[in-house]
Amino acid sequence: MSMPPQSNMWVVIAAYNEAAAIADVVADVTAAGYRAVVVDDGSRDGTAELAKSAGAALVRHPINLGQGAALQTGIEYALARGADTIVTFDADGQHRAADIAGLVDALARHNADFALGSRFLGTTVNMPSSRRWLLKAASWFTRATTGLSITDSHNGLRAMTRRGASHIQLRQNRMAHASEILHQIASSDLKYVEIPVTIHYSAYSLAKGQTLFDALLIVLDLFARRLHR
Amino acid sequence: MIAQLFLTAMLCAVMLYASTTYRQAPVIGLIAVIAACWGLYFVWLPSHATQLAALVGIGRGVDLILYVWVVISLIMLLNLHLKLRAQMELITRLARKIALAEASQEK
Repeated sequence: MSMPPQSNMWVVIAAYNEAAAIADVVADVTAAGYRAVVVDDGSRDGTAELAKSAGAALVRHPINLGQGAALQTGIEYALARGADTIVTFDADGQHRAADIAGLVDALARHNADFALGSRFLGTTVNMPSSRRWLLKAASWFTRATTGLSITDSHNGLRAMTRRGASHIQLRQNRMAHASEILHQIASSDLKYVEIPVTIHYSAYSLAKGQTLFDALLIVLDLFARRLHR
Repeated sequence: MIAQLFLTAMLCAVMLYASTTYRQAPVIGLIAVIAACWGLYFVWLPSHATQLAALVGIGRGVDLILYVWVVISLIMLLNLHLKLRAQMELITRLARKIALAEASQEK
């Protein structure tokens, strides 16, 4: 399950005001032997400096644009450096670097271009039931609108090949990017697989997570996106 | 008559605005043009507005015209929102280019 040494893989971490968690997240990723690029999305709390001293490459947005915009920047950064595999990874400490190998391995094993992490196929730690139902409803909505057969539509832990990443062009700057990625995967006709991963919820990550109101804004964002070119 | 001419001028301005919008947001442009056409029709044939208002249970024709005007205003508001989104996309591209260029210089 380990990465072949010649693989040019980048782990993209979008971060906004994550000073409390970013150093540990980068340390977890780099200790597992992966290269990390942190896209600091205009943080004002020292996130960028902490990420850099923890060993990540750093890209800094001059202003706050949103997680979707930061992920797209990170993907373009990795592609420009010849990445053959790109992993997206949350900055709030919910993900474990130990899951990355399984995702990347699945790309090769299934000859797929996207390996999407699923907490509902895997494990969750300290997940509130309200969050569970919200995510299940979001996944149902995504299945209905994209036709993709997935169990977890808002999991930020995913791996993609260079070809897959080239098909991703995020224009939803904020939280609706997770749905947008799935729409673009569906329209690319490239192969995807879902892989079990573990999500650890903490008081910190829950405070940063999405609410029912955010879910409504995501639906409005997706609708608004369809109204203009 | 003065009110009719004034409203006609306003609705023609709306149609002009809607036609310039059509390329960026076809759905919004189309709805705005249709709403403005209905508005013009009712302004010049208010008796028809009264008949239609009675048919749909609104009461007076003038109320119907008011509702059409509210709809047009909401559509223009939505269009403004969409234009702001388009501006944000341009800002995002610019900011990304700056961020990636600076990251390359640091290497």
